[in-house]
Amino acid sequence: MTTTATPLPTLLVIPTGIGCAVGGYAGDALPAARLLAAASGCLITHPNVMNGAALYWSDPRIHYVEGSSLDRFAAGELLLRPVRRQRVGLLLDAGIEPELRLRHLQVADGCRATLGLDIGPVVTTELPLEVSLSLGASGVSWGQLGQPQALLEAGHRLKAAGATAIAVVARFPDDPESEALAAYRQGSGVDALAGAEAVISHLLSRELGVPCAHAPALSPLALDPDLDPRAAGEELGFTFLPCVLVGLSRAPDLLPAAQPLPTANPAAVIGMDAVGAVVAPAGALGGAAVLACAERGIPVIAVDNPCLLNVNAEALGLEVLSAASYSEAAGLLLALREGLAPAALHRPLPAVAAQR
Amino acid sequence: MSAAGLSPVVLQLERRPGPLRLQIETALAAYGRPLRWAITAVHHPGAGEAMLQIEAVVLNGSGGA
Repeated sequence: MTTTATPLPTLLVIPTGIGCAVGGYAGDALPAARLLAAASGCLITHPNVMNGAALYWSDPRIHYVEGSSLDRFAAGELLLRPVRRQRVGLLLDAGIEPELRLRHLQVADGCRATLGLDIGPVVTTELPLEVSLSLGASGVSWGQLGQPQALLEAGHRLKAAGATAIAVVARFPDDPESEALAAYRQGSGVDALAGAEAVISHLLSRELGVPCAHAPALSPLALDPDLDPRAAGEELGFTFLPCVLVGLSRAPDLLPAAQPLPTANPAAVIGMDAVGAVVAPAGALGGAAVLACAERGIPVIAVDNPCLLNVNAEALGLEVLSAASYSEAAGLLLALREGLAPAALHRPLPAVAAQR
Repeated sequence: MSAAGLSPVVLQLERRPGPLRLQIETALAAYGRPLRWAITAVHHPGAGEAMLQIEAVVLNGSGGA
């Protein structure tokens, strides 16, 4: 199906670390994102949706925006300016062992040589970042960083050296025998790394105002014959870095909304006033981006995507368009893009209510 | 300049009329600058307003280098 309607900028949010059936693993929401990008013509989404470690997909209709920047965009604090390329600085945790560090540097070289990406400089933190993992009261993945100041200082050095986007690699604790990791690899658990990853990228992005994303550095795991296909993307190589470098290489610039628009091609800048819908799991509607959209009257498409949470439209008193799948959500987006009232597609269709 | 620090926060917040996001961010501001937050549960303990469980990580101190 093709459409001649103008694109309908759409946010796709699949929160990280809550065990979503679609999007809770290794970039396994990418097929849904590609479909929604085709339906909307312009999809704004975050690394958890797009990052499949060694696997990635680049689509000019998809804008890769780190989670806290996405929240600030939804709140109307930031605008997005698409770019041809970013210069991606690489920030390495001093806690990464020499061999693992070399693996990451070789990924950067591979992306330069094979994909033509502009990567560099490389900066190492003054201190190990001391990442730790934890679960919240709800079972959601969270995490901590022992040396946030060291992360920020390295980020400032990269920005001063000319990086326009930052890929961070932090050493995460290995726990190959844990039950949580086994459950995740077999498709029934929460991504225990995700919460700490989000904290790292949120902190850098918020403080530096440039696109950022994170890849964990981990020792390779033993082969698992029962590996769930959704987790397989993370077991194809020695690092999780390729998808981050590709995503950041064309991530849009983040412009403070309070400042004047750039004089060069201001029509290309995307602001919240252009956004026509937000798509999110039906049980995870209690995040900043979705609430900001709902408060603006932007249609919320709530997709049946089982997860740990049950913060749904009824619990929050939100009006939503319900979709049983991302395929159905794509149909709803196409309807909105074409100017069709979604209610007209349902039966029975009640008679119009006449007012006195 | 003080060093940046991160703290986990779990809040129980009674929902009031009006925009939710502002209520949550105002409540979290007492602990630091919210870096990441979400409503992770909604309870209805009685006939009154709903109680929201908020989980967050906040930033304390200066972030600048």
